[in-house]
Amino acid sequence: MKKIIALLLALAMVFSLAACTSSNEPAPSEEPTPSEEPATSDAFVLNACIASEPETIDVSTISSVDGSTYVQHMFENLMKYQQTSEHPADDPNMFMTEVVPGQAASYTVSDDEMVYTFTLRDDIFWSDGQPVTANDWVYSWRRLVNPETAADYGYFLDGIVKNAYAIYEEGSMDPSELGIKALDDKTLEITLESPCPYFIEMCAFASLMPLREDVVEGNDNWTDPENIVVNGPYIISEWVHDSYIKMVPNDQYYDAANLGPDEIVWHLSDSETAILSSYQNGEYDFIESFPTDMIESLQSSGDCFINPYVGTYYLYLNCDKIPSWKVRAAMTISVDRDHIVKNVTQGGQVPATGFVASGILDSEGKDFAYGVSELGAIYNWLSQQYPDADLTTYAGKCELAKQLYDEAVEAGEWDPNTTIVYNFNTSDTHKAIAEACGHDWQTVLGMNITLENQEWATYTNGLGEHAFGVARLGWIADYNDPITYLELLVTGNAYNYGLYSDPDYDAAIAGAKAIAAGAERDAMLYSAEETLFGEGGFPVMPVYYYTNMYCAKGIKNMGYTPMGYFFMQYAQPAE
Amino acid sequence: MVTYTLKRLGAALLTLLIIMAITFFLMNAIPGSPFLTEKSTPQQIALANAKYGLDKPLIIQLKNYVVNYLKGDLGTSLKMQEGTPVRDIIFHQGKFVLSIKLGLISLAVAVIIGIPLGCIAAYNRGTWLDGFLRVMTTVGVAIPGFVLATLLLASLAVKLHVLPTNSGQLTDFKSYIMPILSMSFYYVCYVAKLTRTSMLDAINQDYIRTARAKGVKTKMIVLKHALRNSLIPVITYLGPVTAGIITGSFVVESTFQIPGLGKYYVQCVMSRDYPVIMATTVVLSALVIFMNLVVDIAYKIVDPRITLTNKED
Repeated sequence: MKKIIALLLALAMVFSLAACTSSNEPAPSEEPTPSEEPATSDAFVLNACIASEPETIDVSTISSVDGSTYVQHMFENLMKYQQTSEHPADDPNMFMTEVVPGQAASYTVSDDEMVYTFTLRDDIFWSDGQPVTANDWVYSWRRLVNPETAADYGYFLDGIVKNAYAIYEEGSMDPSELGIKALDDKTLEITLESPCPYFIEMCAFASLMPLREDVVEGNDNWTDPENIVVNGPYIISEWVHDSYIKMVPNDQYYDAANLGPDEIVWHLSDSETAILSSYQNGEYDFIESFPTDMIESLQSSGDCFINPYVGTYYLYLNCDKIPSWKVRAAMTISVDRDHIVKNVTQGGQVPATGFVASGILDSEGKDFAYGVSELGAIYNWLSQQYPDADLTTYAGKCELAKQLYDEAVEAGEWDPNTTIVYNFNTSDTHKAIAEACGHDWQTVLGMNITLENQEWATYTNGLGEHAFGVARLGWIADYNDPITYLELLVTGNAYNYGLYSDPDYDAAIAGAKAIAAGAERDAMLYSAEETLFGEGGFPVMPVYYYTNMYCAKGIKNMGYTPMGYFFMQYAQPAE
Repeated sequence: MVTYTLKRLGAALLTLLIIMAITFFLMNAIPGSPFLTEKSTPQQIALANAKYGLDKPLIIQLKNYVVNYLKGDLGTSLKMQEGTPVRDIIFHQGKFVLSIKLGLISLAVAVIIGIPLGCIAAYNRGTWLDGFLRVMTTVGVAIPGFVLATLLLASLAVKLHVLPTNSGQLTDFKSYIMPILSMSFYYVCYVAKLTRTSMLDAINQDYIRTARAKGVKTKMIVLKHALRNSLIPVITYLGPVTAGIITGSFVVESTFQIPGLGKYYVQCVMSRDYPVIMATTVVLSALVIFMNLVVDIAYKIVDPRITLTNKED
């Protein structure tokens, strides 16, 4: 009996080991790690880590900044980001970028600014050698707005390109009726719904990259290294999921001779401690995330730099739960934002003075956030209504906040015994910000605040159900125009979680979307943001403008756009 | 024995079905959606639900899961690797193998080092060596895994540069050292404590006294008689802990950047990636059931007094 049992056990063990080894055969686990690749002695391998495994790198369905960064290295749009001589921060190795023609040789715009005609370059080819044609954009854009694709950015062309709204939102038209057509292989015509001053910039966006129908259609695995066909500077040569993505130059790219790294290895990790350790150990050359408490020492060692980033961290103040605008205004101005950015976030963030993030420009090139006054949109209207209030100091803001709050209580608009629930998704930083805001509201206004953290999926579900008093969110601009923010708070917008509604505001946004860029449109947008922070308003409380931190050593000639993308295709080893 | 094993396999299949049903209803009971992002709209979520069949009644979805599983189709990822077959994620991307490798090696280390340490402590009861081992094992079970992992990372990799920070695919000996140390240290200490306690208990039994009276050497008494009987609690502990080591490898896999299943198991729940949650739960449940069966059979080998079936009574 013992022998039989021993035999069975031995068989079980063999089975287990066999199961392990048989699964192992096609797995990449036997592949050498990137650092062990037999690279030539003078090969430049750039090791970077900007995030964990991307959900997807499918051009039509990506929505994350990291996924878009990988796409920006593999594909090239009609327009592209090209490095300038300007530095975004004090890092001499990092350069700002500007949008210039990419796969397009040139473009023309009709007099009414409704029709854009792009002429493609003659020397553009896919990585398999086939020429890039105008139809590749037609296919890709139709695929994006097709409801069956269920793309995160399916709404991106709504109200901009002709019929996009009817196709994606209403489902009343076929994707083939989108306002984009190939006049011939090298000429692409795009018709808009109305003039759009930021349309050219959109033509560099990752979700609007061209795609080859014969590569993508019917192949769910078209993004795998063995299937993918690209038209940009780099192509994936290897992808070990949850470990790294390796890219090598695409020799069919028209500027292949001038590319930098012989290999770019994007390591995929979400552990800040582990990422920093790898950087400190010399295994990574460039990282984007690390523990907050290390920022100071990394800055002093000359490793860490802080770039501008077009994004706003803000709180929704639910207009149903906090119906008095005076209470919402009091809450908005009684928070010490300087304390939050200096002691909580510590990443060089800028205290917010409006909803539209700093870095968004008006038609004259002025920073929209400070276009009307240095005080910013939150305080412009209040400073006119309460001229005696000193809104340049925190003490002065607190004084006015208390006055507004007391007025609301005296008028019976607010019961001071009400407890407000402040929801945030689980994160040490969000928690610390919530505690700082709650502390200020309690000490300055005497409000009752309850903090509740929830994991992400539960939290976002609650946002959609408007089940909160206060709730946080961050919004990174999709393109450089105030509309990317202001549109969010229009009545009925899916992101208007605080249920704000003002016909004047809605009319101003609709008006601005219907006319071309210029002084008149600027005035409408400035007026709209003033309405947002005027009587009846304050549905959101901007806290700070984001920054983008990174650590880099041993590399130069990197590119950056304040939309959050880093570009490594022309990077070089630093001397 | 064969009948017993077949019965256990039948029960295992039924258990897996029940686990599938419970997991399915629990994961649908918690709020959220795999398609929720900071920029997702109800329109997008509705379209994505329709695309992946999440708009169908729950009972239909469950039926689809069961039918597909019977065909060997574990579904496709909705979020973590959108559109990728879950079977590829778990098996062909090497996640399962990596976690199994880590888990089994850690378990082997726990047994190979833990049991002798427990024997040595029991054999030298009351001496300085016993005292030292007791302190060491108590400290070992008290130190959280992430603390040990971080300490090892900071000292051996970042300061001394003798080991890589990124263990990745565990392709060379060096990349195993810190993950295995971090994962197995707790279990080494726990097994040593368990062995010592049960060994001391066995040493006081009558048959040991009889052996001593017969003049059997102490070493022989410990190795042949006491150790064998003292292993029962250790084996009981090792069965369920095998699956625990794999699902509990989240911290070690994150710290040493190993793309294993343990890390994925936690992340898929947070992302509401329903097919991945379902598949990882079923795979790990099957592993627990299998290990319990192995433990039951191992009992019989270690202690012939234990019977597995009624027929043998």
